[in-house]
Amino acid sequence: MQGKLARAAAALCAGAMLLTGCGGTENAQQTAEKVRLMVWSPSEDQSQSSGQWLQTCCERFAETHPEWDITFVYGVADEASAATAVAQDPEASADVFLYANDTLTTMTDAKALAKFGGKYADELKATNSETLLDSLTMDGYIYGVPFTTNTWYMYYDKRVFSEEDVKSLDAMLEKGVVSFPFVNSWYLPAFYFGNGCTLFGDGTQEELGADFGGENAVEVTEHLVDLAANPNFKIDQDGSGLAGLRDGSIHAIFSGSWDAAAVREILGENMGVAALPTYTLNGEEKQMYSYAGSKAIGVNTSTDYMVQAVELAMYLGSAEAQQLHYELRGVIPCNTELNEDPAIAADEVVRAQNDTFDRTSKLQPFVAQMNNCWTPVENMGKAIRNGTVTKENAAEQTGAMNDAMNSDGI
Amino acid sequence: MKRYKSAKAARRRTNILVHTLLAVLAAIWVFPVLWVIMTSFRGEKGSYVSTFFPQTFTLENYTRLFTDTAVLNFPQMFMNTLIIAVCSCLLSSFYVLSASYCLSRMRFKMRKPYMNMSMVLGLFPGFMSMVAVYFILKAVGLTEGSMIRLALILCYSGGAALGFQIAKGFFDTTPYAVDEAALIDGCTRWQIFTKITLPLSKPVIVYTMLTAFIGPWVDFIFAKVICRANSDQYTVAIGLWKMLEKEYIDSWYTSFAAGAVLISIPIALLFLKLQKYYVDGMAGAVKG
Repeated sequence: MQGKLARAAAALCAGAMLLTGCGGTENAQQTAEKVRLMVWSPSEDQSQSSGQWLQTCCERFAETHPEWDITFVYGVADEASAATAVAQDPEASADVFLYANDTLTTMTDAKALAKFGGKYADELKATNSETLLDSLTMDGYIYGVPFTTNTWYMYYDKRVFSEEDVKSLDAMLEKGVVSFPFVNSWYLPAFYFGNGCTLFGDGTQEELGADFGGENAVEVTEHLVDLAANPNFKIDQDGSGLAGLRDGSIHAIFSGSWDAAAVREILGENMGVAALPTYTLNGEEKQMYSYAGSKAIGVNTSTDYMVQAVELAMYLGSAEAQQLHYELRGVIPCNTELNEDPAIAADEVVRAQNDTFDRTSKLQPFVAQMNNCWTPVENMGKAIRNGTVTKENAAEQTGAMNDAMNSDGI
Repeated sequence: MKRYKSAKAARRRTNILVHTLLAVLAAIWVFPVLWVIMTSFRGEKGSYVSTFFPQTFTLENYTRLFTDTAVLNFPQMFMNTLIIAVCSCLLSSFYVLSASYCLSRMRFKMRKPYMNMSMVLGLFPGFMSMVAVYFILKAVGLTEGSMIRLALILCYSGGAALGFQIAKGFFDTTPYAVDEAALIDGCTRWQIFTKITLPLSKPVIVYTMLTAFIGPWVDFIFAKVICRANSDQYTVAIGLWKMLEKEYIDSWYTSFAAGAVLISIPIALLFLKLQKYYVDGMAGAVKG
């Protein structure tokens, strides 16, 4: 229905263009080519208080390309919601925009996201890790220029935990209070991944389905029942973790770069950041794994200036722009060369995020079936918290969760 | 004597019971409102607190809304919403009252079919047509820049004439003889409407205007679909929603509560002032 409407509207617009005519392009050939690019980014990237990253980068880009006379039109759309707006009406959307990789299929379904091939693909492969590019690759094509990774890890109070402690969740629970978003299905699978559960094979094999059943998953569920009963283990919900950190009742939380500023304000120089710890299951150390994704710069397929738009996207994702992004807003760079820069490598949050991405994370699958996986896991977390899942019915309940994750529901 | 006394005691007992129950219900009902107001004055940051009453009080949350405009420009959103709400309130009240007057006072061929049609259309939620409305507005060039305000005003007031039922019911209670007398004295239909029917119908005008104002004032869904990336056109509803996104929630949560209190003030004042009319409007006032 939406697609039909979009086509009808596109036809209408094409008609309107014919009527008004698109004059003005002929006489500009001798001088610089006139280009109009609409760019969308989150509002912080454009606000004066945080240094106008977008405007600065766009102006620098224009300076390096005197052959184009570019007019920039800025709009506000954060990475999470840009996809919906672009898919709703690609014609009237930005030529270049920032998006989170888990929304990739929303736009490819609407055929609104341009592929990066040829020299652009080579350049991207040269400056980014393979895992990172995998998060933006579908059917062998790269769909955006990555500018940061997106995952979660651990913030802790250095006064309570030593660097040795934070390698094991069990050691931490003995020394202090740990808060974990137990009822949030972006976080809870960390434990299941640790014991060999998988989602869609390597994340792209939709036919393999979710493997959150079986003996290994039941063991995890039983462990989670114990964990939820541990008085030093608090469930983080509606910001209670950060609030606990603030009043001193909690000593470690699990979150991402968006909370870095708040945690730094609370803990000051006692702030510690680390990749995910291990947990002990039946005497064995198991590594926790977070979901990882990326944020990228995408190009709209319906742009009138494809070359310029792709060039701009490449520039906004370049090392230079990433460095400025980091300096102005603390956006963690993902360019491999830039991450070796001593000034950046010294930043704990950068190190923890990169460490998490490389070592203790799994790429978040974006196959369509993935949509079925969120609610059952969330319900499992809630059921354990409420005490309806116990060790006695763990096997049965884990099986039910796995069935739900593999079914289309209604 | 004894029996009389016990009847009195019984009545008192019932009264105490009933009033306790009502007090408890009222407390439950007011609780969320009270909580939002307290949060808006809360000194501690963050979205979660372990205590019911704030530990420190501050006005900072309110001043921040109006001074920290770099990322979320609340004053501009407030003005946008106000302009849109006032304009669509006037426009849609005019539509509703005119349509109601025609349907109540005149007899024409399409009268019955129109009333049936509006009844059927009224059964469908408005946002079903949202995507279509967006593309129509885009085709006429109303989805860019400050035209978005006009687009929203049109959205909120365009379908108003379908909601004539209550105003028509009210007009029906004014005796037709009054109109006839005016006709004999040489009034036109327009004069009857403006000089006789409207002055006799203050309650229903107030009711119509109130509902017509609240609709756009609190609407989120149309504003979101039509504003898209034009942040300078955002209404308060979108702004408040933005404050709860994961990047903002920790630092903006208390300001979000302050914003919620601020936008409820105009509506609360209007209701308090116009409550009398509101009730009359629903009941139908001028009796023949």
